Amino acid sequence: MDEKSHAPPKAIIKKSHLSWFLWLIPVAAALLCARFVCDDIISAGPTVTIFFENAGGLQAQNSLVKYRGVKIGEVQTLKLTQDRRHVAVKVQLDASAASVARQGSVFWIVRPEVKLGSLSGLQTIVSGDYIAVQPGNGARTNIFVGADKEPIKPVKAMDILLLAPKLGSLQPQSPVFYREIQVGEVLDCRLGDDAREVVIHARIEEEYAPLVRMNSVFWNAGGLNVHIGLFSGANISAESAQTLINGGIEFATPPDFQSEATNDTIFDLNEKSEDEWEKWSPAIPLHSMPETMTNKISLPNLNNKNPR
Amino acid sequence: MNKLVACQTCGLVQDATDVPKNSVIQCARCHFQIFHRRVDSRVRTLAFSLAALILYFPSNIYPIVTAEYQGQHIQTTIFQGISSLFSLHQYFIAALMFCTSILTPGLKIIGLIFITLTLDWPHWKKTRTWIFKIIRIIDPWNMLEVFLLAICVSMVELGEVATVHPGRGVFSFAAVVVLTLLATLSFDSRLLWDSPAEKKHYG
Repeated sequence: MDEKSHAPPKAIIKKSHLSWFLWLIPVAAALLCARFVCDDIISAGPTVTIFFENAGGLQAQNSLVKYRGVKIGEVQTLKLTQDRRHVAVKVQLDASAASVARQGSVFWIVRPEVKLGSLSGLQTIVSGDYIAVQPGNGARTNIFVGADKEPIKPVKAMDILLLAPKLGSLQPQSPVFYREIQVGEVLDCRLGDDAREVVIHARIEEEYAPLVRMNSVFWNAGGLNVHIGLFSGANISAESAQTLINGGIEFATPPDFQSEATNDTIFDLNEKSEDEWEKWSPAIPLHSMPETMTNKISLPNLNNKNPR
Repeated sequence: MNKLVACQTCGLVQDATDVPKNSVIQCARCHFQIFHRRVDSRVRTLAFSLAALILYFPSNIYPIVTAEYQGQHIQTTIFQGISSLFSLHQYFIAALMFCTSILTPGLKIIGLIFITLTLDWPHWKKTRTWIFKIIRIIDPWNMLEVFLLAICVSMVELGEVATVHPGRGVFSFAAVVVLTLLATLSFDSRLLWDSPAEKKHYG
């Protein structure tokens, strides 16, 4: 009897459901891993190798590849080639930019550049140098030879050659003026084949190309013009502050102008202008603005939405 | 088979006879859980350590932090961090970091999985005990991970110009730490020397 009253109380026994749920934990872990891998596979595009003569400024695992200012890939490794002439830069492109890996694409490294009259790539001082690309349309490929600087954009323009006895203060990117309005620029300067003169390669924007006639005259507008006359006193003039330092070319077309100049026409570059040239003012109709420039702003969707 | 258990919380001695498998015992007085053994010890340990093993790989492959410093972005995995410490001649810290964040979690996870999988096997009883001993030895070192993470955080705080985003690796790493912790907690060492009859009951 006594024993019964001292019997210990019965514990509560409940069914446990936990053990089945436990296996969800490794399953969840596996799913997470699978997601990581899937993300990598989906976002990873092709790997391309670019050979640069100088890969200074690039860093493995760090430098970016950009197109239109947006990251489209990342530099993986930098290696010297066996012949020590190039650096092989291995780049992992994003899947969205896979179409960049085509023949004809040009890759170059954007570095800060400080020149008189122009600054470029300044953001790279802070963000590090990066690789920029101009996509091509050829067959798919994974090997490219990098350019040492940005390719000259194939814009519609007219190229002319100017012969001068000496270079003066001209240099690439020096402006070309017509009535003191910039209509083009100097692309490069080199010594002529027989070293008797300097050949200056200048580009006139398409819009202004009709201004250049076969009998146009060009003169060096750089530096200071100093006229000292008995009655007029001293007259010092310069085209602009830019030409004072950077040099510049000006040209004029006579009223009895001839036919339009064609590409690679050769002109003489005079050292000074003559007063008569500056009085010439022929009426020459200009080309209308290139279509790409006017169409840039108007997006078809925006136009449709606009109520009148 | 009359079995008496004392509640770990309130001390009430009570009768827990014929407890079926997959069930939990609650105290008649305070309703806290009571157990002779840790509940589902083997299954839980296996599940937690399997999950930890799966996440062990991303935690070492993927970057722990993505730091943006003066426009440059730097991704660092645990291993890269260790090798950069090594190249800075911080051999002691590098070795410590390697042991606490790569070596010991890996050993512990593999050890636990080995023990739980081979528990039914009559052989290798001694090996299992040895492995358990090793796990017990390396266990306190595992906790260093927490301190190492604290160090990382303070380093991040130092660089005021740097922006730091946690990478995928750090989430997996945290999960591995928590899961190994749970795995060792749920492991009941008595499983190691159970007789076949006990095994049937508790396994």
